[in-house]
Amino acid sequence: MAPARKNKKLKPYHMLRLTRVLLYVVFFLSKVPRFTTILLTILRPFYVPLKETWINKKLRWGLLTFGAGRIPPDVLKAYGYGAKAVLENINEVLKAEKNNEPIVWVEWILNAELLEAFNVTSFNPAVLNVFGNVYGAEGPSSLIAEAERQGIPVEYCSAMKCDMGAWMLEQIPKPTLTIVGSHPCDTNVSINQSLEYLMEIPSFIIDIPYWKEAYSYEYVGKQVWEQINFLEKHLDRKIDWRKMEEMMQRINKFNSYLTEITEMHRAIPCPGSHFNLVFAWVIRELNVRSPYALKMAEHLHRAIEKRYKKGKGVIKKEKIRVLLWFPPIAFFTHIFNWMQDEFGAVIVADFIGNVSTVHVDTSSHDSIIRDFARTQMHLAMGRQCHGPVEFITNEMEEAMDAYNVDCMIFTGHQGCKHGWAALKIIQDICKKRNLPTLYLSIDIMDQRYLDEQGVRNEITGFFQDQGWA
Amino acid sequence: MNIFEKIEAIVEASGSGAITEYFDKDQKAIGYFCSYIPEEVIHAAGFVPYRMRAVGSRGTQKGDVYFASINCTFVRNCFDKVLHGDFSFLQGVVILNGCDHTRRIYDNWRHADVAPQFRYMFTAPHVINDLSKTEFTREISAFITALEENFKITIKEESLKESIRLYNRKRTLLKMIYDLRKEEKVPIHGSELLKIILAVTAIPVEKAIALLEEVFEACRDRKVNTDNDLRLFISSGCMEEPEHLELIEECGAVIVADNLCLGSRHFDTLVDENLEPPRALAERYLTHLSCPRMMNAFSDRLQYVNSIRSEFKVDAVIIEKLKFCDLWGGEIFITRREAAAREFPLLALERELYGKDKGQIKTRIQAFFEQVRNNQEIKDELFTV
Repeated sequence: MAPARKNKKLKPYHMLRLTRVLLYVVFFLSKVPRFTTILLTILRPFYVPLKETWINKKLRWGLLTFGAGRIPPDVLKAYGYGAKAVLENINEVLKAEKNNEPIVWVEWILNAELLEAFNVTSFNPAVLNVFGNVYGAEGPSSLIAEAERQGIPVEYCSAMKCDMGAWMLEQIPKPTLTIVGSHPCDTNVSINQSLEYLMEIPSFIIDIPYWKEAYSYEYVGKQVWEQINFLEKHLDRKIDWRKMEEMMQRINKFNSYLTEITEMHRAIPCPGSHFNLVFAWVIRELNVRSPYALKMAEHLHRAIEKRYKKGKGVIKKEKIRVLLWFPPIAFFTHIFNWMQDEFGAVIVADFIGNVSTVHVDTSSHDSIIRDFARTQMHLAMGRQCHGPVEFITNEMEEAMDAYNVDCMIFTGHQGCKHGWAALKIIQDICKKRNLPTLYLSIDIMDQRYLDEQGVRNEITGFFQDQGWA
Repeated sequence: MNIFEKIEAIVEASGSGAITEYFDKDQKAIGYFCSYIPEEVIHAAGFVPYRMRAVGSRGTQKGDVYFASINCTFVRNCFDKVLHGDFSFLQGVVILNGCDHTRRIYDNWRHADVAPQFRYMFTAPHVINDLSKTEFTREISAFITALEENFKITIKEESLKESIRLYNRKRTLLKMIYDLRKEEKVPIHGSELLKIILAVTAIPVEKAIALLEEVFEACRDRKVNTDNDLRLFISSGCMEEPEHLELIEECGAVIVADNLCLGSRHFDTLVDENLEPPRALAERYLTHLSCPRMMNAFSDRLQYVNSIRSEFKVDAVIIEKLKFCDLWGGEIFITRREAAAREFPLLALERELYGKDKGQIKTRIQAFFEQVRNNQEIKDELFTV
């Protein structure tokens, strides 16, 4: 029973089109990175001051996200390729929608690579969770509010409420098929049932097991074979193994570049902003199928490696090394640069940007599917959240040791029931290690809970308490 | 003491070690958390399967140290009891990845390191299909091995088959009692049935069977409803307070059917006694009436509501959730739309386990019943005209 997908204020796909405009601007400006850096720096007074105004509303978040003139030109060039990858996808999706061609939703924390072998348009419905901010601070909140107005439980994780609201307000297209998963949380398990009920379309569910044992990987592997049958049946086309192999070779390179960047961030001083890896995660989520995604990873790697070899840090004087644990704040992407500018604090590792996955052996169809299945369980958030608390805390402690962190900021996301239920364990670990930790109570998508200014205040207070500011 | 009083006494004792008075000498228990955990395996290992509960909770003060305010009141109350040592009479506890709240009980229990020492995470798939049944069969076999290794015992196939036979008998009796409510003359309240399930999930199955046979006999000439009572279907996740169902029924209704953990989901579908035990258990436990953690079964659950509505002549449906339960929140969203499409009266309630909001709930239920009755009268008048 589908709800009416209409809204008086928002034209269909308005937010998606605004995203496209921003990405075009970034892509073209990245062609002249030095000029762009100077331009963004000169224009800073119009968008860096805290408040969003009617003049900078549609620009502020985008310009802050793309560095506000603080990103080195070589990194900005890499961002341009990332923007191009997402642009390709948005254009393809809008074209498919217009021509009534199939669109397959692939839910976040699942891999869309398989769709490359079916030559079909894939779409990640979470695109506006991040890019909805191009509409202004109320962008994602308005999507969430719509979902809640239509009866979606308020206590759901806002990331999934955003997806639902975006679909209800016709800001993202209706899919032909969906590929969804049972991790990382109950909201996923629950809301995907509601979506299937409302949209009345076939859905393939990947059941992610609790543990990461040999039998768990085998179980997911068998499901991927079923997924291939599902796609062949519903798309009425056969899998193209040559394309799949090429895609896996690309993804291996992509992962290898990002894994190396993750490792290079251990260096003191840290050679790059960790936002680079978070940005790469977003691009991976939205369109890793594009060759531009690989180009982005390659350029990022080159830029970071250059500084790493010279022993240069992302800022001149690195004072505080920060571990950001739990999902980063989508509406305050500028947090990385802001902390660097204000306190000399560099986020050196985080929950989402750190890449730790498996290499796909492309020697046979069996090996491709076996390893591809493993990668489904090693994507950030998925790999930490589906099992016992050690999946979160072991990685957290490893990061504390490997990255020589001085403190941790825990972004306690409102909808994350299992995250909050693990807080006592996390607190005890930090206490035992004597690690100063700020526990933020926040909603990473929804500024109505704690806004940008609130986050700044909390972090400033925390650094002052430690005598660092 | 009549049978219903006996049951009340068991329920009262069931929140702590006092329940062992109902055990045979030297009998020990293992706690389990969810209707997806096969009791037969625990029984075949020589233990009494004890369904975990927050009965007798003192509040959430200690539990709140481990769980946040956005975690449900079931885990907060239950873990409070864990920290008070109420479950120290257990030899072990089996937790399921049922939802985000309960799966962290496994982690927090290990972290708090309070008795019992054997804490096992039993996992169930989130989908029902051939692959997941095979996976679940493996999980059940692994569970058997874990019990054998930890307690230095051997679980023989014959013991498992005998346990399956006993638990099937228990399920059959429960279904017989539940089915009595199809008649106009309803012999048992929903609140009484909840007490029965609370009792039979805390004592040895052999005694539970005897108890249920007695209940069935006692129901023969019994009638608890009046002609004016609305016939209700109730659906919810965690619900263990008979007084809550009493409150609903006292507003002018009788509960005739349900989809509750401590209700139909406990006894729906028998285990096939001809199959190899782990496979038979996997088939039954994965395909019984599902809860919203099963992602590809919502249409079956809706179909179940629709078929039960006609079979049990249901006048109205109440669906409930505990605050912060995503799974039942989604189920309410879907059921609301289904109710609007199929035009059946539905009340969706959100509440806290052992909450202090009885007054509000009562008002909402009274208003709902009034609305249902008014609509029935309007319909009757239309037909008369």
